[in-house]
Amino acid sequence: MADTADTNPRGIPKAPFVDDVEEYMKKSSGVEATLRKFAEAARQLIELNIAVYYDQINSKYKFMEANMTQRRQSLESKIPELEKTLETIQFLIDKKDDDKPIETMYELNDTLYAKAKLEKADKANVMLEYSLDEALELLQSKLNTANKGLENANEDISFLRDQITTMEVNTARIYNWDVRQRRAKKVSA
Amino acid sequence: MGNFGLLDKEEENDVEVQWEDQQKINRFSRLNVLVDQLEEHYKKQKTEKEYLEDLAMEIELHDEDEPVMYRVGQGFMLLEVEDAQQRIEKQKEGIDNKVEELKTQIEETEKEMAKLKAALYNKFGKAINLEKD
Repeated sequence: MADTADTNPRGIPKAPFVDDVEEYMKKSSGVEATLRKFAEAARQLIELNIAVYYDQINSKYKFMEANMTQRRQSLESKIPELEKTLETIQFLIDKKDDDKPIETMYELNDTLYAKAKLEKADKANVMLEYSLDEALELLQSKLNTANKGLENANEDISFLRDQITTMEVNTARIYNWDVRQRRAKKVSA
Repeated sequence: MGNFGLLDKEEENDVEVQWEDQQKINRFSRLNVLVDQLEEHYKKQKTEKEYLEDLAMEIELHDEDEPVMYRVGQGFMLLEVEDAQQRIEKQKEGIDNKVEELKTQIEETEKEMAKLKAALYNKFGKAINLEKD
């Protein structure tokens, strides 16, 4: 996590980290004098604003996270399908030089299988007719793309998780700071 | 926050959170999600492994001269028993590797989490909660 860029590789912005709550609250309020002048009312307003602002940022992150999780799920279901097809192609390649025809039951419908004899299976239909090697290559590259997409989705989800955690910790810290302020006020009053 | 709480609001906390701490918290939260995913994969692969082991036993009892319908992709292929056995063996090898790999990954993740946990509790004490509900 040594990178200093403001976004991740796919352009999701980083959450701001509050270094020093005290300083941050002063800066947010403009000058300390203003804070003192409007005392409680001003501070409450600032806190409210920050809370709303944080909430907005965080719900954007959460929205992106939900989207990305959906994307991951669709890829996760696509990958086994591609793997199954690849398995079949690989099987046909293994059997290419066998003289004996391959006896098979293929799925005609969800609950219906039919028998078929493959005399010489050196072509595969992946929507279009391909040679087995071409089909293998095509499916392999599709599988690679899907896996890469999944990797990116996982990276994005982890990144978003970091930002959400940061925002939540920021919020808790500002809240704690406020509690301490109030307590200090009570003591001095 | 997932299923654990960070910086309990009820607890007074005078220790400032440094960027370094924040990164540790983020890393922990990330690993917490990761370890759940790994466990899930692990469980699935382990069940699959058990199925394959049962299958290997069953096929031993099968008449050697009677070919079997063996599932390949979406369909079934008529295979000599020996051919099917070889395929099962190969699949078993693949899955054994996967199961082992997942196990190592889970162990490593848990180790790193324990380290982060110790560091964070050491600094923040009761003000932070890293336990699963």
